[in-house]
Amino acid sequence: MPRDRPPRGSPLMYTRGRGQTVALPSPPVVPASERPAAPLSLGFLTILHEASGYLGGYLVTNTWGRPLEFRLSSAVQPNKVQQILYAGTLLPYICADLIGKTLVDKAAVSVSLVVTDREAALDLRLKLEVPVLWLAGADDPRALALAGGPSAVVPASAGRGPVLCHPRYAAQDVPASRELLSRLDSAFDLAEPFGRVREAIAEARKLGVGARAA
Amino acid sequence: MDDAEETLPDRVDVESCTVDIPVEARSMPRFDRPLAATCREARLLNDNPWVRSLGKLTLDITTEGWRFPTPTDPPPAPPKSVPARTQSPVAEPPPERVNSDALHRLRPPRDTIVFKERLLYLLQPPLENVFGGRQVTVPFKPYPYQMEGIAFLMPRHAAILADEMGLGKTVQTILALRLMFHTAMIRNVLLVCPKPLVNNWMRELRTWAADLPFEVISGDLAARRFAWTASKCPLKLVNYELLTRDVEFVNDETVRFDVVVLDEAQRIKNKESKTAQVVRSLQRDRSWALTGTPIENSTEDLVNLFAFVDEGRIPAETPAKRLPALIGDTILRRVKEDVMKDMPPKTIRDVTLELTPAQKEAYQLAEKEGVIHLNELGATITVQHVFELVMRLKQICNFDPRTGQSAKLEQLVADMAEVAASNRKAIVFSQWVEPLVRIAEALEEFGPLQFHGRISQRERQEVLDRFQKDPNCHVILMSYATGSVGLNLQFSNYVFLFDRWWNPAIEDQAINRAHRIGQKSPVFVTRFIAQDTIEGRIAEVLEKKRELFNELVAQNQPPARLGMTEEEIFGLFDIPARPRTARAA
Repeated sequence: MPRDRPPRGSPLMYTRGRGQTVALPSPPVVPASERPAAPLSLGFLTILHEASGYLGGYLVTNTWGRPLEFRLSSAVQPNKVQQILYAGTLLPYICADLIGKTLVDKAAVSVSLVVTDREAALDLRLKLEVPVLWLAGADDPRALALAGGPSAVVPASAGRGPVLCHPRYAAQDVPASRELLSRLDSAFDLAEPFGRVREAIAEARKLGVGARAA
Repeated sequence: MDDAEETLPDRVDVESCTVDIPVEARSMPRFDRPLAATCREARLLNDNPWVRSLGKLTLDITTEGWRFPTPTDPPPAPPKSVPARTQSPVAEPPPERVNSDALHRLRPPRDTIVFKERLLYLLQPPLENVFGGRQVTVPFKPYPYQMEGIAFLMPRHAAILADEMGLGKTVQTILALRLMFHTAMIRNVLLVCPKPLVNNWMRELRTWAADLPFEVISGDLAARRFAWTASKCPLKLVNYELLTRDVEFVNDETVRFDVVVLDEAQRIKNKESKTAQVVRSLQRDRSWALTGTPIENSTEDLVNLFAFVDEGRIPAETPAKRLPALIGDTILRRVKEDVMKDMPPKTIRDVTLELTPAQKEAYQLAEKEGVIHLNELGATITVQHVFELVMRLKQICNFDPRTGQSAKLEQLVADMAEVAASNRKAIVFSQWVEPLVRIAEALEEFGPLQFHGRISQRERQEVLDRFQKDPNCHVILMSYATGSVGLNLQFSNYVFLFDRWWNPAIEDQAINRAHRIGQKSPVFVTRFIAQDTIEGRIAEVLEKKRELFNELVAQNQPPARLGMTEEEIFGLFDIPARPRTARAA
């Protein structure tokens, strides 16, 4: 171990016996363009509406779809007054501000991209610094209407709806999302993890595992 | 009055009179008092209006999370010559596969009670995605039933994979372990197998898990001690005999494995044997057993197997009819009929075996002396000389001339035990009669029948009829010359090539005794190859010729030129072929 901390940028020195100092070879400087890209993590957010209310599941995976973290929210059921007062903003508030934001913030693993299968959660983009994509259903009329617009990231294909970003951030999110999606494994199906999340939620319910204090 | 025009008087005299009108004056009470304005205090604007709470307007949630081990990124698979999935050079129509949309996902078994562990399995991606992408490269995509086997093994701490022989228990195990290493579920594994199969496992590991380092525990005492107690290699391979001998190292408190896999696990069916005791003493988290014959003689075999796999699961004196309920989803067995739609009609596997010490010594001596002799012949050497040496060496690869030891026979006996236990039938081919006679003696318990040049024509049909009809006759021993043509043995599912012929076309004809129209199940062909011998070199040459043939010529033409040329035969010993003019002489 070097006895004296060398000035920044100078090679590391360590002291042998009898006061000899030897310079350790500095590691080669790798240009930024040649450095391997930082590992990419994706978040998959789904919100279910059940008799007990709205609850969310959030799965964080690597580029190969392997799970890194899973979070589950408690169920929230708005009462009549809240429904009246929030009116049309209730669903986006619950999905994006309340459930989505809380799950993403509480997760230990940060993500580069969030994918959701609920349009109402798309407003989560207003709270985050990373792109949020909506994986729309193949027959969703609103999605099909937006598919030709500037917020389309991936067009609709056979049996699959388009992938859309938040319209307000289309200018930066569309190219950024496409670049991130190009780094995924070829066999990665964006819709597939949502099935796993739903199964995990069902398993939690079956075992009586509920969200305790965060 | 005059009625005529009356005119009004100009003047009327009115008498005044005085009328007294009493006037009373009273005061109005309301005017007794002066007007006084009054003011009543109004407090409405100063006090807060009353309110009633309608309830909390904000919404709150709580969350709970589980974090999983970070998967390791496997390095890019090293470039290697991928062995072609050995199929007949004659193009076979691809089998009809069931087109299923069901993806194979891990399902936690019933006895996994920790919720986080259950989540870890549930949240894994489907195996089809894992093998279909870039993350896990395999030479061939596993069959659907093999995906099912991998999905069965991975989440289990106790498992018995009891597939019928030939369905790929080795492949399923290797891939399951490989994926578990990738997902950081495990960090070290011990794989125990019979000694003749060590090389086979090594080859399969290199083929199916090139990114997984492994080491074979062998060598002298010091080397083995290091391998057991100090080596950090993630996967260790050992044979049963060495494991038993190294019980002292095995029981070291530092020696612990995340998974212990037993191949040919019927080896421990005798609970009181030393092997079984040592195996049970291994410290481990997961116990997997691979065997094609979980019940060889009685249900006691299965119970003893569970003494390793999951001790305590089957209480003593449990009646046999209660076993299915107890072993539940711990055991998975498929037979050919279950999976035939997934499999090709014919599968060929090469089993490389290490010669026994006696064979090795005899072989090395014969090769050395033989090559010296060939070199001494000089220009007089002919291909016949080389041929004779090759034949001699091949015979030693079959049996040691002095002791009769045979690594191939040991393996064949073990394989036949599985074949017979599954009520199947097998054909064993050799190019000589003498080995067939010796094999018949070793396979006595399986009802062997012989079909070669020493069997008279009259007896041959009786032999064939008996082989087909007698349920106790599980194997027929044939020479290539007599058994290669004109026979229909499509009720046999296994073909063993005890030694190989020069021309793969002849081999194919032999194989096709079983693999032909009317065959209802896949056929499994096993080719024995003695490691580091002439057999391996011949096999390489023939394989290259087969591949070239398949690329260049039509698939249904008889492969007339697949045999070895003179140059190739000379090349087996690095001897230059004679010039053509010398040969003409």
